[in-house]
Amino acid sequence: MGEFAGFRTAMSYGDPLGEHMAVRETLAVFDISHMGRILVEGESSFELLNKLLPKDLSKSKNQRMFGPTAFLNENGGFKDDVMLYRFSENKWLIVCNAINRDKVLKWLNEWIQRLSYSKISVRDLTLEKAMLAVQGPQAKDYITKIRGLESGLSLQPLDFVSNVSTEYGLVDVVSRSGWTGEDGFEIIGDPPVIGRILKKFKELGVRLAGLIARDTLRLEMGYVLYGNDISEEINPYEARYWVFDKEKRDCVGCEALKDFARKGVSRVRYGIRMKKGSKMIPRTGYEIVYEGETIGYVTSGGYSPYLERGIGMGYIRSSHALPGLDVEIRFKNRSDEARILDFPLIKK
Amino acid sequence: MILLSGESDLIVKNYRIPRNLLYTKEDEWIRIENDIAVIGITDYAQKKLKNIISIELPDVNKKVSRGEVIATIESVKAVADVYAPLTGIIIDVNEVLRDTPEKMNHDPYGEGWIAKIKIEARDEIKHLLSPEEYAKKITESE
Repeated sequence: MGEFAGFRTAMSYGDPLGEHMAVRETLAVFDISHMGRILVEGESSFELLNKLLPKDLSKSKNQRMFGPTAFLNENGGFKDDVMLYRFSENKWLIVCNAINRDKVLKWLNEWIQRLSYSKISVRDLTLEKAMLAVQGPQAKDYITKIRGLESGLSLQPLDFVSNVSTEYGLVDVVSRSGWTGEDGFEIIGDPPVIGRILKKFKELGVRLAGLIARDTLRLEMGYVLYGNDISEEINPYEARYWVFDKEKRDCVGCEALKDFARKGVSRVRYGIRMKKGSKMIPRTGYEIVYEGETIGYVTSGGYSPYLERGIGMGYIRSSHALPGLDVEIRFKNRSDEARILDFPLIKK
Repeated sequence: MILLSGESDLIVKNYRIPRNLLYTKEDEWIRIENDIAVIGITDYAQKKLKNIISIELPDVNKKVSRGEVIATIESVKAVADVYAPLTGIIIDVNEVLRDTPEKMNHDPYGEGWIAKIKIEARDEIKHLLSPEEYAKKITESE
């Protein structure tokens, strides 16, 4: 066990590498109950979210996820990156990063006041509901082993169904997406129901996976982690994180985004892959060096069991953000060869 | 809480601490064999690091001072330096770890040994921790 954003959560179940490979080759289940779940409901919910999100909400559909998108500050920096579930025009579930839950709640309430929307309710369901992610190529085969969950099978990626009656009780949401690069499902419901489902998966022989595997899986795909790779000081152009619609006007951060497009950015996010055989793993804060000159910094990294070497990502001076460029990763007196690459870092 | 297990090991939580070794507060173990110190990382260290991915070993014949970094371990969890617990000369390293660093996970006190140092300052041995002292250190840092 470890602590993450104030939650006691499993860093691993003893074998992070095995958990990682299980997701790539078969499947594993993550308990992601720590993720923030915020329900926004009532008249003008659509208008509120359309004001706060840089993606055009008119492209959203009922019973379909919307995102990834982000709440931006006025300067265009990330307040948080989020996925939304649209139940109807005026009923949305926001899934946000655990570390940003309070911040997002505050931001929503602040804007409700500012825009004088009196009929919107914002409810934090994080502690009331639990959430699982079933991920891997065999996720679809196992989801049907729990009576009621087979309704997830007909879902297209990003679609979801709600109020699903299962043999273990009512599940609020079953959706089809993930953060690992594999096919998979999320299941949201009351903790006792989710607990029984988790137990059933365990009985079926499905592995449980923890946060370390979750981190290395997302690194291979090049997905960002808030707090490491994005923050209030980093904007979506720098992150090359397409959480926005370029033509959108009138949202918090939209003006700033246009400015970035006009003026360009001085650093951009790219992937790092250590040279084959390297024993070094790039980690947060390590320097990215080209011919003796520091051209960037690693923002997150780890070991890829798939590539059998260290991988990571970081921000590189725009002039040197050249996929294919051979660089050095340096920390204190250690350094080793690596290459700048675009995402994803694995080709399956 | 310290429980007895068999004759030779202390067990603190689920960490094994053999009684015939000495320790450092940086989680290394030392087995003194005449004027040679065999060193490795403890069961506690390997469990904290989880899957070990690689190790950078020191050069043989290198002279090292107590407290100097002699090896660097990369795991899925973190990077960790291994410090020389005693001043001396590296006379052997466990080459096998270059290809199978997981031996430090599976057998930290046996096949997972890291290096052998020819002791040059015997009086430094008094700075090392007894199994009981190390057990206390783990209990306090948990």
